[in-house]
Amino acid sequence: MLPARHVAAGAPCGTLGRTAAQLAGVPPVGYVYLGVVPYRAALEMQRQLCRRRIDEIQSGRARTLSDALILLQHPPVYTNGRRNRGRVPAAEAARLRALGADYVETNRGGEITFHGPGQLVGYPSMHLRDHHLGARCYVEGLENTVVGACARFGVAARAIPGFPGVWASPAEKVAALGTHVQRYVTSHGFALNCTTDMRWFREIVPCGLEGRTAVSLQSLVARQPGGPGPDPSVDAAVPAVVDSFGAAFRCAVRPLAEVSPATLDAIQELLQQQQQQAQ
Amino acid sequence: MLALLTRTAVRSAGVARRHLTKYTKSHEWVKIDKGVGTIGITDYAQSSLGDVVYVEVPEVGAEVTPEEPVGVVESVKSTSDIFSPLTGTIVDANKEVVGNTKLINKAAETDGWLFKVKFSSEAELDELLSAAEYKKHIADGGDH
Repeated sequence: MLPARHVAAGAPCGTLGRTAAQLAGVPPVGYVYLGVVPYRAALEMQRQLCRRRIDEIQSGRARTLSDALILLQHPPVYTNGRRNRGRVPAAEAARLRALGADYVETNRGGEITFHGPGQLVGYPSMHLRDHHLGARCYVEGLENTVVGACARFGVAARAIPGFPGVWASPAEKVAALGTHVQRYVTSHGFALNCTTDMRWFREIVPCGLEGRTAVSLQSLVARQPGGPGPDPSVDAAVPAVVDSFGAAFRCAVRPLAEVSPATLDAIQELLQQQQQQAQ
Repeated sequence: MLALLTRTAVRSAGVARRHLTKYTKSHEWVKIDKGVGTIGITDYAQSSLGDVVYVEVPEVGAEVTPEEPVGVVESVKSTSDIFSPLTGTIVDANKEVVGNTKLINKAAETDGWLFKVKFSSEAELDELLSAAEYKKHIADGGDH
């Protein structure tokens, strides 16, 4: 089950490969900002939400669950991608945990990265078929989302072909990407460093790329000439990301409580279950 | 002349039955040969995924159904689950593509095959698309 949308190999996705008629029919996406959520709870919530959406879509019943742009922060955690599962020595995982972070292996694309306070994490749950998107153009849409959000802070970031993520310079990455697609439904997403303590990244080789570093919006804004730049906090980045997400995917983005209260209820219920199990 | 034509027609019908290639709406191809389906992703699918950097194929002997993922293809930081359109037992998996993922981009419908399943339900074959139907599916947008 592979989402597909034909775009010539290597060609830019432009409207992400969609025709005007297809764009006219894309559904709205509901956004929600959940504050700080432990990584494992958010992971399980996403897994179950994805499952419920697939079951509902495949049943052919009227849909109650919508696309969602789930925004949140995590307590400190290092996470790894599918291809590195089981490949990190126990001693290395123990070293990372001793720093005061969790270490979790996942099924997303990409390699090791860090999430923590001051970083805005976005987990879009998108049914790619509704948006007429293939995996490659979907990732390009995520890159465009972050590039657009950075531009709203006066920061010129860009995507570099062959190096997914969003870069403030060829050696400095301001956001990491990693997604998973199951039966056209996406999980995981992007992580934009706003005011993150960047020392956490020095403990790893982010995304397996030697000689490149992660950078925060805060330090990029501070470099701008002409005094104090805009506030680079997560709170300030939320509306910027919501706005640029709609522009990048050419869809309406409204509060999830308006678009689909059932989806918001499902997310909150799943997170509550995780909290209760953790206690 | 008539006899020659008839013989040719019979022979090609026989060939078609033994080496039938079918497709799924989700862009897998299935080559059916003596109760075994060889499965891979279509050229259209590899193009929409972009450069494949990592592949997981199922273990030989695994029992598979269309409901559960059997492997994964990773491209541009995105992992996509692979499903088997046929219920049955995995009898072979392509180890070559695991070490050389570029094969999937270069030869998706030949050397880039992923796994072979000895299928247990003939009825599932009826769900698959013919080459002409698949071509139309792509022309109609490919994502319905």
